[in-house]
Amino acid sequence: MKKLGSYKLYAPRKDEDIWNYETIEDSETLVDLDYQNTIVAPKKIIFPQREIFLEFSTSNDNSLEIREVLPDDKPVVIIGLRPCDGRALALMDKVFSGEFKDTYYWKRRDQATLVGLACNTPPSANCFCLTVDGSPHSKEGLDILLTDLGDKFYAESLTEKGDKLLGEAKGLFQDPKPEDKKEVKKIQAESDEKISRQIKNIKNISAKLKEMFDSPFWDEESMFCIRCGICTYLCPTCHCFDINDEVASSSPLKGKRVRTWDTCQFPDFTMHSSGHNPRPDKASRLRQRMFHKFQYFVELYQNFQCTGCGRCISYCPVGIDIIKVLDKVKDYGA
Amino acid sequence: MVKIESLREEAKNLLKEGKVKYIIGYESGPNGLLPKPIFIKKPEEVEKLIWDPTCVFNLTRFLADEKRRKAKEKQPDQRPVGVIAKGCDSRAIVILLQEKFINRNDVYILGVSCEKEGVLDERKLARKLKNRKPKKVEFGEKDNFIVTTEEGKIEIPAKELLADRCLECKANFPVIYDVLIGEKTQRDGEKPFKALEKIESLSQEEKWNFWKEELSKCIRCYACRSVCPMCYCDECVVDTINFAVTADTSAEEKAQKIKWIDKSPVSSENFVYHLVRAIHLAGRCVDCGECERACPLEIPLRLLNKKMEKEAKELFGYEVGMDPTQPSLVSSFKDEDPEDFIR
Repeated sequence: MKKLGSYKLYAPRKDEDIWNYETIEDSETLVDLDYQNTIVAPKKIIFPQREIFLEFSTSNDNSLEIREVLPDDKPVVIIGLRPCDGRALALMDKVFSGEFKDTYYWKRRDQATLVGLACNTPPSANCFCLTVDGSPHSKEGLDILLTDLGDKFYAESLTEKGDKLLGEAKGLFQDPKPEDKKEVKKIQAESDEKISRQIKNIKNISAKLKEMFDSPFWDEESMFCIRCGICTYLCPTCHCFDINDEVASSSPLKGKRVRTWDTCQFPDFTMHSSGHNPRPDKASRLRQRMFHKFQYFVELYQNFQCTGCGRCISYCPVGIDIIKVLDKVKDYGA
Repeated sequence: MVKIESLREEAKNLLKEGKVKYIIGYESGPNGLLPKPIFIKKPEEVEKLIWDPTCVFNLTRFLADEKRRKAKEKQPDQRPVGVIAKGCDSRAIVILLQEKFINRNDVYILGVSCEKEGVLDERKLARKLKNRKPKKVEFGEKDNFIVTTEEGKIEIPAKELLADRCLECKANFPVIYDVLIGEKTQRDGEKPFKALEKIESLSQEEKWNFWKEELSKCIRCYACRSVCPMCYCDECVVDTINFAVTADTSAEEKAQKIKWIDKSPVSSENFVYHLVRAIHLAGRCVDCGECERACPLEIPLRLLNKKMEKEAKELFGYEVGMDPTQPSLVSSFKDEDPEDFIR
């Protein structure tokens, strides 16, 4: 920990019963990696729930001053990411690149070294990473992957950033022995067998969904949805946001332009300024979530946008289960 | 002991005779311990209904959805909706009736008595079992719950697993119902409002710090609001849905539409949201515990909303959710009401 003095360290911390990513301030605190998964995904470190874009104010002569507010320059280490959460960031990278590279996202992303922790056993009863082309030891999106060998960790560097971090912590590591590498392979193979919830072969789900856009299927599935934001806010890949001006005073004018998380499940998400709402009911909003994860994203980026972490299933207050919905979509009309 | 067969039989008859549109009940959860809500339309489907300590949800929340659905239909089916209600759930229905949000003949209440027990707190069970995963929980004899895990069945005293509100429960059985399954047995509950004692003993500053820390976890998912049967406002203080826009509404008016609470999950906004919601629940919160259960960050929201219930009792002698003919607290007054705060 002392060696990482120049970095800001984020690790999972337990507060009563719940795990969440927090900064570790002092070098005496031990990082506890004996955990399942955090409630809020580590996306909140790279893509915070509140991001200030700029500040504006008028001065005495009524001239408007606008100041850009960029994230701090401090390099960050996030330790303990589960492979599904790491993979999720790799997927979010696609969204925030392309024609327009999001300055704020990439500043944080580039400054962060992600040290993942492979899942020897599934962190949740609702894990289904294998179904969506992930795995409990996936390396996507990560810079280093740790595997817990019981009395020690096996660290594998995957990128230049990973090399750099391991280089800085040189004294803390030894070279692995051949039996260590064997053990890692064994654990990885076993962990694949332990994922209990799976749907075999959902390759055609995207095409199937396309046919079901107007189906009454969505009315039935969304019957119990209570329109909260839990599924989207806890999801490691959901990234929709709202931008608002938060005005502290109007005369003289002083305020901030702020980006906050938003969710397609709130009724006013697609409210137009004309008053029209193209997604006025729960059915259209649940459909939107399923389509975004399993159809639109596939068309745009050839990947499912879901990484199978299972949080939306575990925390939905009314038990709406994305795996069950996928299953029903697969068999619909058969 | 409540017999599930009696419940299913009642439900079946109602559906056969066409007395209700559908019945809202509990069915076995698809994965994990807690059940799922179910709408049953056909008599044969009643076999899916279950009743056990995991039936924690307050199903009356779905009555608001039903009302909205009806409002959109040109010739709505006027039959009532059947709902399975525990004691706490029935008190929520009482509030909805007091406020004339629904009419008495809009709902057919299949009351279920918790008898001597109550419902499970899933988090307490997880702590008790540590890493063992529970598959099923049933009512046992002698005030125990029978918990089935992969390793077999164990008996745990109900007191250790009951939801906090059940420990203080004063209406172990529904206070209003069309049919009652089970008996009206009383349980020796704890002192009312015992849960608030610890926090009430804190100093002003300690209370502030307590809530500041708890609310810093809040991600404003609004699950607490969405799951509450009493939060049925079409436009909530946090939403901007029904801004009446006409052809004459200027761009400036649209841009300057008042936003009561900023979307940012910062301390000030989180406080305002939760405190405003608590105040809006004064004399209306029946302590069904759903807000706290739904919160993914385990913020102890019951404490805030239950305080409102206590104030109603202590300041105004008002028992929340007991008598549907009673007017709501905030829309009525008595000559004896305290006046010492009027200067």
